[in-house]
Amino acid sequence: MSSCGAVVGGVSLEHVDVSRQAVIQGVVSKSDGPAHVGYVRLHDRNDEFVAEVPVSAVGEFRFFAAAGEWNVVALIPGGVARTKVQASLGEIVDIDVLVS
Amino acid sequence: MGRNEVLVDADWAVAHLDDPKVVFVEVDEDADAYGVNHIRGAVGLNWRKDLQDGLRRDVISKEALETLLSAKGISNDDTIVLYGGNNNWFAAYAYWYLKLYGHQDVRLLDGGRKKWELDGRELVSNDTVRPATNYVAKPQDHSLRAFRDDVLKAIGVAGLVDVRSPDEFAGRLLAPAHLPQEVSQVPGHIPTASNIPWSKTANEDGTFKTNEELAALYEGAGVNLDNDVIAYCRIGERSSHSWFVLKELLGVKNVRNYDGSWTEYGSLVGVPVALGDEPGQA
Repeated sequence: MSSCGAVVGGVSLEHVDVSRQAVIQGVVSKSDGPAHVGYVRLHDRNDEFVAEVPVSAVGEFRFFAAAGEWNVVALIPGGVARTKVQASLGEIVDIDVLVS
Repeated sequence: MGRNEVLVDADWAVAHLDDPKVVFVEVDEDADAYGVNHIRGAVGLNWRKDLQDGLRRDVISKEALETLLSAKGISNDDTIVLYGGNNNWFAAYAYWYLKLYGHQDVRLLDGGRKKWELDGRELVSNDTVRPATNYVAKPQDHSLRAFRDDVLKAIGVAGLVDVRSPDEFAGRLLAPAHLPQEVSQVPGHIPTASNIPWSKTANEDGTFKTNEELAALYEGAGVNLDNDVIAYCRIGERSSHSWFVLKELLGVKNVRNYDGSWTEYGSLVGVPVALGDEPGQA
């Protein structure tokens, strides 16, 4: 049985059929480079929370979602950044999120 | 029970880091998280390795919990402060678990590991060693735990609260959006359940909303807090978070956590299932 827990940086794409889901992934950075500590939240088009993952040691994150408009919210010590993304089934959306 | 008796903030935690009768326990599903770093003096519990029966799907036995807590150096009269990742999901699961087995004084660190990290507070990587104890657990308190037959009897009778995301509730997703959607059970929800996602009970930093906000949330969704309530999610950990809100923060008298949750109910043969955003009919 798999848990609902969030894996740092997001789940690996190995063995995942990405044709059946929209993948939203990227890197969270601050002014001096990738964020080593932080969390990324996925909110739906109404800004309702859907999921959250901690960033990896190099600021990476990944979500599996349905097609549509999403809001990505990055939280790091001392800052928050919000980014809108449009996701489609079978596509991987890569975004860079800068928290200033 | 008052909010201050079940929930502590970071300042309280810092003031009690060296209190010998307060044990900080980090609870994670990620086996590596505690090993990387943790609050000074905290011991670690792994949701999967330590708190799941290795053979059948169940919580571990009373005897196994006694062995576990004794080895971790936890005594019956200790104050246990739980915290962890995922907005305290697994810490809340452990809270429910320890109450299930009768521990007297358990509390959650408000905001869990996330707020602690975002606030830039100290984390250490050295192992915590506490002298072994002789912990004695009580028999399971089934007034806190719902089983599948309890849930079937509750359809259209008691308050069923599905704390998953709206897409999981409606059957559009089979799992949370940060996980691949490749699981086998049928989608949907238990008929007559209200969808009140766990996330609506928490602020962005993982802390719980105020009691006034929480009561308005449930009552606004039509949940009668004077009635019996059963909370469920996919595997019972997010619903532990909402169970904590209902039972410990709002003081609902009879609220149970259905830890079998959708992975069990959605695989049962012949039970009613509802699809879509509405609760559905009994």
